[in-house]
Amino acid sequence: MDITFVLTNAIIVACIYGLIAIAVSITWSSLGLINLAYGFIFSFAGYGAWMMAEYVTENPALVAATGIAVGALGGVIVCLTVFIPLHDKPNFTTRGMIATLAISLIGSQAFLMYFGPRPKALPEIFGFWKVDFLGITLTSDKIGIVVCSIAMLAVVVFWMRGSRRGLEIRAMMMNPHAAAIVGIGIRSTGVYVMAMTGAMAGLAAILLSQTYYISPFSGLTPLIKGVSIALCGGLGSVQGAVIAAILLGLVEALTNQFLGGQYVLMTQFLVIIMVLIVRPRGISGLLDKAREQ
Amino acid sequence: MSDANRKDYVWHNPLAVWGTATGNEKADSIEVPDPRDVWDENRAFKVPTYKVGRLKHYIIWPTHGDRLWNRMRWWPTRRNLLHIKGQYNRKTLAAEKKIIDRRPIYWALCLLIIALGPLFFPADMMNTLMTAGAIFGVFAAINVCWTLIIGTASIFSLATYAVVGTAGFISSWVSIKYGIPWYFLPFIGSGVGLIFGAAIAIPALRLDGFYYALLTLGLNELCRVFFTTSNEFGSASGGLYGASTFVNDTWEPITQSMVTYYSSFALLIGALFLFRLIHGKRLGRILRMAPEKREAFAAACGVDYKRARITIFVVTSIALGFIGGFYSAQYRGIAFSIFGFDTVLLGLAMLAIGGIGKAEGAILGTLVVVFLDKVLLELGPIRHFMIGALMLGVVLFLNNGYFGIKQQFNAWRDKKRGEWRSSRSEKGGEALPEEATEIEDKDDLYFRRFDKLQRDYLKGLVTPQIIEEHRKQPLGQHSEALERVLLYFRRAKMEDKYALHRAGAQGPYKIIAFSGVRGVSPRLVDDREYATLDEGYHGVFMRRVHDLMET
Repeated sequence: MDITFVLTNAIIVACIYGLIAIAVSITWSSLGLINLAYGFIFSFAGYGAWMMAEYVTENPALVAATGIAVGALGGVIVCLTVFIPLHDKPNFTTRGMIATLAISLIGSQAFLMYFGPRPKALPEIFGFWKVDFLGITLTSDKIGIVVCSIAMLAVVVFWMRGSRRGLEIRAMMMNPHAAAIVGIGIRSTGVYVMAMTGAMAGLAAILLSQTYYISPFSGLTPLIKGVSIALCGGLGSVQGAVIAAILLGLVEALTNQFLGGQYVLMTQFLVIIMVLIVRPRGISGLLDKAREQ
Repeated sequence: MSDANRKDYVWHNPLAVWGTATGNEKADSIEVPDPRDVWDENRAFKVPTYKVGRLKHYIIWPTHGDRLWNRMRWWPTRRNLLHIKGQYNRKTLAAEKKIIDRRPIYWALCLLIIALGPLFFPADMMNTLMTAGAIFGVFAAINVCWTLIIGTASIFSLATYAVVGTAGFISSWVSIKYGIPWYFLPFIGSGVGLIFGAAIAIPALRLDGFYYALLTLGLNELCRVFFTTSNEFGSASGGLYGASTFVNDTWEPITQSMVTYYSSFALLIGALFLFRLIHGKRLGRILRMAPEKREAFAAACGVDYKRARITIFVVTSIALGFIGGFYSAQYRGIAFSIFGFDTVLLGLAMLAIGGIGKAEGAILGTLVVVFLDKVLLELGPIRHFMIGALMLGVVLFLNNGYFGIKQQFNAWRDKKRGEWRSSRSEKGGEALPEEATEIEDKDDLYFRRFDKLQRDYLKGLVTPQIIEEHRKQPLGQHSEALERVLLYFRRAKMEDKYALHRAGAQGPYKIIAFSGVRGVSPRLVDDREYATLDEGYHGVFMRRVHDLMET
């Protein structure tokens, strides 16, 4: 193990968990919903892609597209069951969080009942090939993961910057009440946001299943890591999430290298707690511009 | 009354035959309808009506005035067992006692049911129910402590089970390794809880609300990974077992389960006392002054809410550690599942179903979830599905769980009542239903109602004919329609009653209005002058007609 291997691993981990972190972050800042059902969306997308690969075709592009589409569908389901009924009720934040947790409980039990506890494997999407880059051997899945997640992130960022819907979402992030007053529909925006972030979680599921299997509870670790990264980077900030993803990926890789795998979470949480004690709203969160709802 | 119903006729003064008439000899007038028609028409409701007022919430006990202050008290304090108010019945003037707060009675009854539960368990379910009951006691105790953290201290911590689990594991480990007897384990657990609680309280000082929730969710996962992967804590066996216990192996199985059941019950009672001591006393009251988003105001009033929150958090962590140590002393150890995400989810389900922030909510939620999870075992994995569905339903439809239903329903009912009333508000001038229940003098209500009906009736009588009749002869005998209107006017209250003021020896006249208060002079209504007294009378009449038609 050398330092380049550590760094590539850090980047890959950061890419996958960063996607979920940004999804959590965008949902919180635009809708005020702490969506802890990304674990469910993650498994949902994974099973969707697996069914595509199992029963229809193993074409990598189609499998990946199915995963993303099913993830977006999962996001819309969460939006319809949680956000739309609850967003104007008292204690929305607490109730929304508990409702998303309930969805993830129901969802994982449903997967357990329907698909059984045995994990499922997805086909290799990126094939088997290697590239020597400046003396570093990069396998196909590593390159694929990095390229796909960066591409997804770029698409999301450009869509948020350039499109009408993105403008609405950014308006919601700045001030939801003012956005509602100037005619931006909270519910319709909620559907777009959840579909988009669900698609990101779906892509994360596809990418992570290149390394791990899909099982009813496989979404939990990515969710917790994603939430931790979002928290560390500052909820509501995309660049903060990117920085935090790289930082925590680095911590994970270094801990793996020098201390051993079982200490990864400990060092990560120590780093997160230290960051949060110094900056209570995360790396690039603003202190007094927290979303209040 | 519509114009079509009016019948014009010529009124002849009955006194004219004898030549003693002071008024008009004859005048155009209208037939007077039966006043009872208006009454009947107004009393008939065209929409469904509902009973108004409050239900009798309170059981009222008879008492003797002397014994009113003779109450049961918690020895040796002066505290009452029940919050009782003494009063006198307004009708009979008998002395009465009213229990203002009946919750202690319900608590005593429910705890009695739990305590006597094993006597009524069916024999074929005995084993399952006793096990479930013991688990219920422990989890209810944990959830009551958790309620203190989430509800009273408003720290949204999800690391409660992590504290319990860590204390349980460390005390089991100490017991196995050094042979510590069971009665020390809860105290070792308390020490662990203190350290753990203090450590995770530091971020709580800086972070707010949901940042802290997410952080503690991660901490829970951290504990799970740490304990399941470390060799000291028995990573292979699904938990750490072999600690010293107070449940003797040589006892009969039924005795063992009885001991477990009642020790868990005692633990629950202890947790409830802790809840009472914190929530109902100084710390809880301080924090009720500083609810979320009003902390700045409370701080300005001199409430050190941060200190109070952290105190509660640390004290509760000690209690949670105690529960952890107790758990390992009772079950000879502890399983890794205490750290599982599912455990946190089920715990949140328990809190959410009963209502966050209330001890009774925590206990009811625990009862429901433990029943679904541990008693209905034959249902299989659908149990958790049901719990999730219940949790989702409660969160979607109830503002604050089961024990918030009453408040939510009352608010909804009041809203609906307001809507219904506004859709049928055609009875202007009368008292509104809620107002009516609050007005002591019911005669006043009847007068208002009668007055309104009478005005409605008289409005139908005011026609150009009777105005013309009055203009011709303000005084003397009039037709029945005009006479009825005039009688009503003459009966008006002194307040704002019109009168004529003679400006000079022979006139002119001006209209004034009495103040209705002795010693306060009448006010001039307007500057219009009337040359003769009859013109003045008619001016006053026109004013009153105008006022009548306005109402």
